[in-house]
Amino acid sequence: MLTGIDYFVVISYILGMLLLGLYFKKFVNSSEDYFLGGKSLPFWAIGMSIVVSDIGALDFVGVSGQAYRYGVSVGNFDWVGSVPAMILAAFIFIPYFWRGGMYTIPEYLGRRYNRSVRTIASVTWILFFALDLGVLFWASAVLLNVLMGWPIWISILSTAGVVGLYTYFGGITAVIMTDVVQMIIMFTGGFALVFLSLDAVGGWDNMVEKISTMGPEYRNHFDIIQPADTTSPFPWTGILFGLTFVMANAYMIGNQSIVQRCLTAKNEWHAKASMIFGSALKMFIPILVLFPGLMALVVHPGLEDGDQALPLMIKSILPPGLVGLMFAAFFAGLMSSVDSLLNSTATLFTKDIYEPFFKKNASDKHYLKVGQITTLVLLIIGVITSPISSDFPGIYVAIQTFMSYFQGPLFAILLLGIFWKGSTQWGGLLALVIGIGFAIFLNVSKDSFFTIEDPFLYISWWSFILSFIVNILISLMTERHTDLALQGLVFNAKIFTKNEKI
Amino acid sequence: MLNFDWLSGISQETAKMVFFSLYIFIGLLVLIIPNEYIFQGVAKEERFWYKNLKLWALTVLGILATIYF
Repeated sequence: MLTGIDYFVVISYILGMLLLGLYFKKFVNSSEDYFLGGKSLPFWAIGMSIVVSDIGALDFVGVSGQAYRYGVSVGNFDWVGSVPAMILAAFIFIPYFWRGGMYTIPEYLGRRYNRSVRTIASVTWILFFALDLGVLFWASAVLLNVLMGWPIWISILSTAGVVGLYTYFGGITAVIMTDVVQMIIMFTGGFALVFLSLDAVGGWDNMVEKISTMGPEYRNHFDIIQPADTTSPFPWTGILFGLTFVMANAYMIGNQSIVQRCLTAKNEWHAKASMIFGSALKMFIPILVLFPGLMALVVHPGLEDGDQALPLMIKSILPPGLVGLMFAAFFAGLMSSVDSLLNSTATLFTKDIYEPFFKKNASDKHYLKVGQITTLVLLIIGVITSPISSDFPGIYVAIQTFMSYFQGPLFAILLLGIFWKGSTQWGGLLALVIGIGFAIFLNVSKDSFFTIEDPFLYISWWSFILSFIVNILISLMTERHTDLALQGLVFNAKIFTKNEKI
Repeated sequence: MLNFDWLSGISQETAKMVFFSLYIFIGLLVLIIPNEYIFQGVAKEERFWYKNLKLWALTVLGILATIYF
């Protein structure tokens, strides 16, 4: 399906990424350079990196497929499910982490609660990222194979080679600066598809009219707020309680790969601005990935599998050259996801596991080398384990779903840890463990409790509520930390008036 | 109970107003943040109006409210 000009576009893109990423090798002289970019990066680069690392090649196809089936309500995840949380994170949480000179979220949890909470949170993230890497490689490569006929192992090895080289040598600076280019490629390819598709369906009003007359199952297709009793996975109650109040906040203040980017900012203003700029860019994502799915309903009605919507639109709408650009956009999605996983996992392992448990007080160069070796080892594990995931269909969704069960309890202990001095180490530890256990129980017995298709939004809400209550009850019965021990770790209104060094 | 059946009587229009109320609430929170905190890290002589992050946040919230189809 690819023509000569398409191959030229894709190969130019891959080589360009490699050269750009390796350019940043000269800026890495210490572990702070490697993990936090020497705290020297501007808001616009960090904001673009946050957005692009949050959307992979699989999301392009998956979200379009969901839009084909459920309509615009899928956009809630990037609109109300991101923007308010990013604004709150920018003004309240990020300045705390930035002033505290932290490298990881579990590091904050360790200072606020105890080492067990830090280790549980860190190991959970490391396992999630490591498992995700192999599955992401394989699923994305299969997708590129189906879309473009690109051989699976060429996709995996070229991505691993390019991303591995620039992440190993350039650290997070290379990750963020290549993400900037990847976002531009992704937006250019995505918008080209949207505009040409819109022309093909005869404009927006014509599309709405055609879809609305397709039958009763499409009457809510253009309602962003779905009824509470809908059978789709996106009732407004789930969107408000599960997504907006819990998962969005847990993701924006508890996800290492998001927060670590903000910690690379050159000063506190840039750290806050990066989140707000990122939230502005986030609002464009549904236009790129959701609208083609809606337009496919007009161009290719009656598809059995909604995930075929985007590939069919690319094949039927885009001319040669732009197909290559769209393919490069898919590659950009894969690369930005892989480099995030590699760098975040290397940081978590080095700072939360290796340094406290294996070798304290080593030289800075030693930790830099550990971070680089961890990156390399992870990459090799990801490539070797990627074909195994083909034996477990649905494993990508299963891993993402399991991670969503960790979000509610994590957000509960982060929220109480920051806003309540009385939250104790036992309160935090038991809230985390019991909350995750409760989420797993609800998932196993979901048919008894829920009527919607996939109740992950409800599960995250109720596991958050239980963790919140457990944390308070246990904390009231156990010994509190001293005020001195909590200095700089618990919210203080002084943060708004003084540049308090934590 | 866990399925939020007790809220199924609320119409989509009313639910939409709940979301608008949330945006207004966050907007008000942003408005009361002191400028000193907003400009933390920016030299006094470089504190131009376009660097005021309150303005950025309120613009983003305004666009989001407009989207809320």
